Amino acid sequence: MTAGTGAATTGREGVEANIGARLGRWARSAVVYGIVTATLAVVVGEWLDVSPPAAYGLCSACHGRDLADWVLNNVEGKHLFVTAAGAGWPLLTVVGLVIGSFLAARRNGEYGSINIGGNVRQFGLGAVVMGAALFVGGCPTRIIIRSGYGDLAGLLALGGVAAGIVAATLSMRWMARR
Amino acid sequence: MIVSLASLGLGLVVGYLGQRSRMCSIGGLRDFVLVRDTGLLKGAGALLVAAWVGFGVARIINGSAGHGLIAAGTTPSGLRAVVAIALGAVVLGFFATLSGACPLRQHVLAGQGRVGAWSFLAGFYLAAVVYTSWIEPSIGSWVL
Repeated sequence: MTAGTGAATTGREGVEANIGARLGRWARSAVVYGIVTATLAVVVGEWLDVSPPAAYGLCSACHGRDLADWVLNNVEGKHLFVTAAGAGWPLLTVVGLVIGSFLAARRNGEYGSINIGGNVRQFGLGAVVMGAALFVGGCPTRIIIRSGYGDLAGLLALGGVAAGIVAATLSMRWMARR
Repeated sequence: MIVSLASLGLGLVVGYLGQRSRMCSIGGLRDFVLVRDTGLLKGAGALLVAAWVGFGVARIINGSAGHGLIAAGTTPSGLRAVVAIALGAVVLGFFATLSGACPLRQHVLAGQGRVGAWSFLAGFYLAAVVYTSWIEPSIGSWVL
């Protein structure tokens, strides 16, 4: 009798460990990331008020711009541009991104302050990337989501980003081999 | 209220999954060009296809399926807008690749403790304020 219950508990624990391992493996899959992210972006953008503009569910550049401008508007009394979605209550996507990644890294023992140098260069690149992203209307992730929405400007931007990535990769390889 | 909670929850989930999967929307094509690795490219493809299907389903549920599954959102009008968006996108892809990751991945790296990502984000948000304060009023904005 006791042996039977013991076998049953180990069986259940085995199943739970199996589910945990499977969930951990799925979380490491880029395809699962893509499906979950796109689904959440559609749900949030269509039904949870993160609209107008259309297809605005997830964007690290525009939501960051909205948050920064919202803070300045409310603290300093400026009148900077904020989209209709983030005008009332702030959009906290970028804060959630950093916290979520921090929790994941802490939970899996990958958190660590790493300084590989080149910070001034990264600062300048960040400024250029933000300017270009606001100019074309979204960070690369939102450009993909907008393309899925059927936005012609998004498709055009997606092609341009792809060309830029190929050009930068080939030029970096050329510089490294020279 | 709902906006803040929804965007915070979305950010938490995407940040968690992004840290685990090392997903980067420009890293897929970069890895493919460099070493023919298609792991991250499949993720970007899944994002595109799932967004397409998701918006199609949302249109059916909302009852606005009359335009078909693909309905244009904003359309660049005129040759100048097309050229400007294409050039801006090339600049975005080029410099994002030089910085090593797309902006979303830089947020994830910052949460992971990478110092370079924090200095990237400092330039990022400074440029956001500079852009909306001085550049955008002078050129106008045709896309959001």
